[in-house]
Amino acid sequence: MKLLRFFRGFVPACLLVSGAGSAQETVRIGAVLPVTGKESKIGSAYKQATELAVKEANDAGGLQVGGKKLQVQLTLLDDTSDAAKSAQLVEQLITETKVHALTGGYGSQLVQAQSVVPERYGVPYVSAGAGATSIYGRSKWVFGTLSPVEHLARTQMEFLADLVAGGRLKSPLSIALITEQTEHGNDYAKGVKDYVAAHAGAWTLGLEQKFELYAPDFRPLLGRVQAGKADLFMADAHLEDFISMQRTYTQMGIRNQMITYGARGADEAARKALGAATDYIFASGWWSDLLPYPQVKAFDERYKAATGVAPQWYHAVAYETTRALLVAIERAGSLEPEKIRAALAALRLEKSIVPGAVLYFTKTGQADLPFVVTQNKPGGKVDLVWPKEARTGEAVAPIPWK
Amino acid sequence: MEKLAGVLLSSLFAAGLYATMSYGLAVIYGVMRIINLAHAGLMMLAAYVTLTLNVRFGLDPFLSLFLVAPLFFGLGMLLDMALVRRLPRGGTTPSMQSLLLLFGLWLVLQNLAYLLWTGDTQSILTPYTMSSVRLLGDSYGIPLLLVFGVSLLSLVGLDLLLRKTFLGKAIRAVTQNRDAARLSGVNADRISAVAFGLGTAFAAIAGTMMSTLYAFTPDFGRSFLLKAFCIIVLGGLGSFTGVAVGALVLALIENLFAAYTPIPTSFQDAISFSLLVLVLVAAPSGLPALFRSFSRKAVAR
Repeated sequence: MKLLRFFRGFVPACLLVSGAGSAQETVRIGAVLPVTGKESKIGSAYKQATELAVKEANDAGGLQVGGKKLQVQLTLLDDTSDAAKSAQLVEQLITETKVHALTGGYGSQLVQAQSVVPERYGVPYVSAGAGATSIYGRSKWVFGTLSPVEHLARTQMEFLADLVAGGRLKSPLSIALITEQTEHGNDYAKGVKDYVAAHAGAWTLGLEQKFELYAPDFRPLLGRVQAGKADLFMADAHLEDFISMQRTYTQMGIRNQMITYGARGADEAARKALGAATDYIFASGWWSDLLPYPQVKAFDERYKAATGVAPQWYHAVAYETTRALLVAIERAGSLEPEKIRAALAALRLEKSIVPGAVLYFTKTGQADLPFVVTQNKPGGKVDLVWPKEARTGEAVAPIPWK
Repeated sequence: MEKLAGVLLSSLFAAGLYATMSYGLAVIYGVMRIINLAHAGLMMLAAYVTLTLNVRFGLDPFLSLFLVAPLFFGLGMLLDMALVRRLPRGGTTPSMQSLLLLFGLWLVLQNLAYLLWTGDTQSILTPYTMSSVRLLGDSYGIPLLLVFGVSLLSLVGLDLLLRKTFLGKAIRAVTQNRDAARLSGVNADRISAVAFGLGTAFAAIAGTMMSTLYAFTPDFGRSFLLKAFCIIVLGGLGSFTGVAVGALVLALIENLFAAYTPIPTSFQDAISFSLLVLVLVAAPSGLPALFRSFSRKAVAR
């Protein structure tokens, strides 16, 4: 009877101790991603890349934290692309799963919703999926690896300025600036307008128009572009709008010297939908597998071997964001939230796969990395045309319309 | 003058598209007094079926109409028998239950599409997708012209069905007065099922044609649904010729504003919905009724 009583007390005590022990023995990372719903395509890619980064860390023996090797335990939840659910799940990860840090989130709207929760509980949070500047700088706990969309626009202007300097385009050049009615579109427009204002004389804004997402008819808008006779067509659009707008643009027979749709251009879905009508469109991005760094080549091969998928920019950014968080935890040498946060703020991740090869966060918590510019070429080819030192082919300018 | 002709032609072609996506809503509302909130989901589903027929069997989207329309007609009748018929009748206004049921159906269709086709952006590229013809100095895409042609045929077909066949007369009778139609021996439940099937088939025709113009995901159709609401209100809720008139008026206003005013084109929707509010206040029976009233007054003078 005494033995029974002993076991009754001993067994739960052992479980408690072992539970407490195992809680100490892992680094708990949480992520909330849109694995289903309208953002599921990229959300699923983020999930795959995040899991790979964690798996690689665990396969290498785990993280060295405070003299101990700890395995990483990733808890990944699906917000079904719903902003309200997204914030609620982040809270659940913090209060119930007791995560030490958070990563993930894709889409400015979803990340915006998530980003208010870490501040409330004092947990470090690194997003890989939002470039809108308004998300950052409000909380010391929120970091993001996507550089501002304004800088994307500035990079495109610098690329065009280089074409002018090389005599390929003739200054002054007028721009038709067409952007979607979103924070992304507004940031892009601001980037172009700021550059034009700073380089008055060389550039003029011939036309500036906004459009609603998923507009049913782009003809009235493009009619204004056609009448405006601008030299350059610079738009910022979601994939669906890019496809619809470029179809109408082509059917209307509009001809500009250069065309861009911001970050859109080399997408496989667009090339399938538009065929040769995407040729010579240039696009900026947060990453390209054409970057000439050995670490990019190694990542590309590793990713293909592990998943059977050729990594796109969203795989690379999600992977590198998770890696940056894990490196920061190692550098913090502790699982205390404040120490992890301080390590993130001070992070300089050398030999990174991002453009510029060094990942770091500015004072607002948002990364400020260079963008790459790619240009579609006939036959489905894509060349990296900017930055100059990394280019895989010459930019074709102006577009040789047939 | 050439500019005005271009604007008028653009409006006419845009009206073809707008009318096509509104006929289905008008048919169902006219006969059943139900606002089919699942209309956008049915258009989306038809776009995916068209894509599958194109990818698997190489079937041209416009030819696939001959398969997709009957298939969705059957689906519509089934939906009516399995779901819609079980709802309590809301009298002359749509019941809350019908709105909730059809909104729920839309969500189910969306999630079904996510399951079957994922959330990837899809589109259909045919040999003529990028081709265009020049009319009055402007270029117009071949798919848009084909959509306009199908829209005209749909209107003529619908008109013939309603005016020349017994089924059409029965539909009109139920539209005008359900109880009186029943007293005259019309099986109103069967007519409702046919009307729901017809409305679903028109949603499918719209979805198939829109798949030749736009890229789509399971979320596709939301903005088109709002525009379609606007058109059927302009057209006088349930009048099919009115739908064509409403579509033309809306397209004309949008294009004229874009061509002759500095108002940003992003205000297109604001213009559409301001017009909707105006019509609801000034002519709740739609623009055709307003025109009729004007002409009567003019004759009286």
